[in-house]
Amino acid sequence: MNQFKYVSPKTKEEVLKILKQEKSKACIVAGCSNVLPYIKDKKLPAKLLLDISGIEELNYVKKSEGEIYIGAGTTISDLINSKIIREECNLLYQTAEEFADPTVRNRATIGGNLADASPAADMAPPLLVLNAVLEAESIDKKREISLKEFFIAPRKTVLREDEMISSIKIKNSFLNKNGCFIKLGLRQAMAISVATIAMILEVEKNKVADVRIAMGSIAPIPLRLLKTEEFLINKEVNDDLIEKAIPKVREEVNPIGDVRASAEYRRYVSGILFKRAFKKLT
Amino acid sequence: MKKIPIEFSINGQKREALVNPNDLLINIIRDELYLTGTKYGCGIGECGACTVFLDNEPVLSCLTLAAAVDGKEITTIEGLANGNELHPMQIAFLKNAAVQCGFCTPGMILTAVALLKENPSPTEEEIKDYMRGNICRCTGYVQIVKAIKACAEGGKSEPI
Repeated sequence: MNQFKYVSPKTKEEVLKILKQEKSKACIVAGCSNVLPYIKDKKLPAKLLLDISGIEELNYVKKSEGEIYIGAGTTISDLINSKIIREECNLLYQTAEEFADPTVRNRATIGGNLADASPAADMAPPLLVLNAVLEAESIDKKREISLKEFFIAPRKTVLREDEMISSIKIKNSFLNKNGCFIKLGLRQAMAISVATIAMILEVEKNKVADVRIAMGSIAPIPLRLLKTEEFLINKEVNDDLIEKAIPKVREEVNPIGDVRASAEYRRYVSGILFKRAFKKLT
Repeated sequence: MKKIPIEFSINGQKREALVNPNDLLINIIRDELYLTGTKYGCGIGECGACTVFLDNEPVLSCLTLAAAVDGKEITTIEGLANGNELHPMQIAFLKNAAVQCGFCTPGMILTAVALLKENPSPTEEEIKDYMRGNICRCTGYVQIVKAIKACAEGGKSEPI
């Protein structure tokens, strides 16, 4: 295994100071469930690993003025065990239950899943449809980044070298909506997704009043399907609408082929996942 | 490479170790402490054979840095029995023939114990869902699910 250095600061401030100093030489880790396989595969050059898993101030789920704040170091298990998430943000709860398996969920964090910026990050599609906003911090300043602007390419984000995600914010108006998450993997556990979909759908008088769709593993970044959403809005809900929307979904996704599935299959199955999610919510 | 001193407890015993930043917990457990009950399977978090408890939660020791367990409590399969008295889950696995080659068994048993701690009377579906990260290549899982169910229903079954 490649060699690297390791430090485990006890406060967020310490982490930010080290980041400012080491810049791209430092790599923040928490659960290590992605980073260690990268290191074994020699995909990550020798670096300083900054372990934030022991920092309590990054691990919380709280509600303030109607908005939910999730600390970046919150594990997926903590999300499942959070009453706030279970009762008020069911879409995220559903996703957390689909995530890997209990052993990985005990270590993997929500911030890590996003910062890794894999096109297959399971937490990204639900947070995209929930219009999540990330709080990014450096030692000098704090800023907010909308999740839809966060990903720029596979494993690339707008995060600067001296910044870390400190929390994830979900606005009140996006909570408690009719939503679902469906994951397609080669097995039920531990699988890197072949394709995922998160959808929120509100139907009024049998017409689509609000719809938000995001998919994973079907484009270089986790993707909001804005064109399909636009097509669906205000349309009457029936089977014909679903059949007409499927080609729109297949047009909007931009998958590659890899060891898990071919591009053609991913494009095809994107339409099927859309259909399943839409039917589940109506 | 500068070594890092760590202190932790394993199966109730306090230990100190000097570890490399890139040492994995599983290698310390097997190669330094000679607790070879914890198995090295895939090494990339796919199979669950290396499951141990870290502060009472099941985690994969192949995806945990040894340096990260400083100050924590670890339990391996060797620490589950109380002296010569097997844990009820171990008895249930024996009684229900939930073991063939045995390689996945330590991880299976620990994950199953964690399941019953969270949910003392799981349905068959809940068992399968919770155990989904632990791979077995011989039993076909039927006896494993049966054993966990028996353990949940039987509570403390008599020793073999």
